[in-house]
Amino acid sequence: MTARTSAPTEPILSARGIVNRFGKQVVHDKLSLEIMRGEVIGIAGGSGSGKSVLLKTLVGLHQPNAGEVLLNGKAVQSISAAEKAALIGVLFQQGALFSSLSVAQNIMLPMREHTALPASEQEQIAAMKLALAGLPAESGIKFPAALSGGMVKRAAFARALALDPKILFLDEPTSDLDPIAASGIDALIRQLNESLGITVVIVTHDLTTLFTVCGRIAVLVDRNVTVDTADKLLQSDHPWIHEFFHGPRAEGAMKARKGHHGN
Amino acid sequence: MTKVRAARQPASVAPSGPTVSISGDGNRLALAGTLDRGTLAAARAQTQWPKQGPARSLDVAGMDGLDTPGALYLCGLRDQGVKLTGIRVEHRALLDLIGGLELEPLPAVRSVPRWRQIVVELGKGAHDARHEALDIVTFLGRAASWTVNSLLHPACLRPAAISRHIAETGIHALPIIGLMAVMIAIVLGYQGVAQLRPYGGEDFTINLVAVSVLREMGVLITAIMVAGRSGSAFTAEIGVMKTREEVDALQVMGIEPMQVLVVPRVIALVITLPLLTFFADIMGLIGGAAISQFLLDVSPTQYLTRLPQVVDGSDFFVGLIKAPIFAFFIAVTGCMHGLRVSGSAESVGRETTRAVVKSIFLVLVLDAFFSVLFERLGV
Repeated sequence: MTARTSAPTEPILSARGIVNRFGKQVVHDKLSLEIMRGEVIGIAGGSGSGKSVLLKTLVGLHQPNAGEVLLNGKAVQSISAAEKAALIGVLFQQGALFSSLSVAQNIMLPMREHTALPASEQEQIAAMKLALAGLPAESGIKFPAALSGGMVKRAAFARALALDPKILFLDEPTSDLDPIAASGIDALIRQLNESLGITVVIVTHDLTTLFTVCGRIAVLVDRNVTVDTADKLLQSDHPWIHEFFHGPRAEGAMKARKGHHGN
Repeated sequence: MTKVRAARQPASVAPSGPTVSISGDGNRLALAGTLDRGTLAAARAQTQWPKQGPARSLDVAGMDGLDTPGALYLCGLRDQGVKLTGIRVEHRALLDLIGGLELEPLPAVRSVPRWRQIVVELGKGAHDARHEALDIVTFLGRAASWTVNSLLHPACLRPAAISRHIAETGIHALPIIGLMAVMIAIVLGYQGVAQLRPYGGEDFTINLVAVSVLREMGVLITAIMVAGRSGSAFTAEIGVMKTREEVDALQVMGIEPMQVLVVPRVIALVITLPLLTFFADIMGLIGGAAISQFLLDVSPTQYLTRLPQVVDGSDFFVGLIKAPIFAFFIAVTGCMHGLRVSGSAESVGRETTRAVVKSIFLVLVLDAFFSVLFERLGV
């Protein structure tokens, strides 16, 4: 179950020698990370370990002090806006839905900017994306303020999928959600990865998500990443990684992993 | 059927994007190329069966690219009875996923007729205005009672907070208020000279500028500036605290938000605004001196000797007495709207705007009231 699609061999995104400094504080020190086409990779780490900064660096919102990020072989900072919009989708932690637009308008916004599809077609596609994200069509005319936390995440999912991105970045997709909604999001991520072949990068410290959805996990420790499968990381003797995967909260997640893997 | 290149490629996407072509004869068509959001319109234009017969089919074995809008289109064709043949393995999952969705069109937004909307808005406006007026009166009363209560029990006062607000609302406002007072004196001076010269009374410009600055303009300009600068800051500060549940935290700890958030701001502004008004008066008179020098050839020394003849203490105090009252209303309006913020960040912006508009409105209404009052009293 680790490899979701047939052959995740070539990297779709590679970060090389990333250095991020804030004042004297070094967050990332020559960090390198390769994300393979079609995989689901989790980025985990303690609070303040620079998960969000790494995510922003990977999508090109943050210019690192040193190093480069290659997306599809091109430097992420040099990719044109339209091309980038078609390549990457980002689900922000709070959803970042535009509050002045309805959910359907939110989903149609990138289509309106970057495609020549007629409005009726855009509406059909928006309804499809809503269904894909597991939302009923009636939620399309609602405004973000009228949505619950779980629905905001799903609506933001639908918007992130608007232009069929090749790689989807999720920032804490299950935080602030009740366990049922969180499991729903986990299932959605799996389904999107399997059916659409989207590469998914999940920044999270939800152990259940890490164990049941991610093929590989990148753990941010000591200003760098340790990337491996969950099984290997469970045997790691690094004190923080050990604590992270064997702490009292990890047990329930381990059960979920066994249940999900079915054997 | 001829092969046509995708025509509707938007310029912002790659200029030579993927293409699609549909060819075939009779009811059997074959699709080749990429079917995605860029080529969808071209595909739609080319997909034409001669007859709406039952045996329509589309061969998609030659399709190398498919995205979700393309899959939606193919699923739509399939629902209309078109047989899709030669589906590649890599497209099957996507087609199954999209075909398996329960798709409904987006519901239409219910629209209310324009005339009804106007009636509804009017009714809402009237209803809101009534509540608003009640709210203001209630809040003014509460703020006044808390302020007096604090003054009677000085141990409850928060000198650190008060002095911080005095610095922020007062000292930092000095440059802009000084500049504005000089400007307004110059404007008045120019108008006075222009209007009075035909009657040979341009000397009275000195009276005009001095009296208007001291009685009205000094305090009015200062109050409006402070309402825009500090009233809005009060709303935003308290509003942000409200969105972060800091105000709730205070209440849970048994600390009255009125006591710690409103009273120090009210006291600080009531102290600051008269001082700022005094400063504005001085700067306005300096502006008057400059005007006299340049337009009337009256030297600053002569100006100073004439000043006591044209204005007396009452002009000065009539202006100054209004300052603390304006200050009270500005501070209370700002704090009230800050505490009214509900949850979202937009409401901080909305309430800030309302606070500024309302406090400037109140300042002008009060000023009109004072004008009538002083006229009746004969000062």
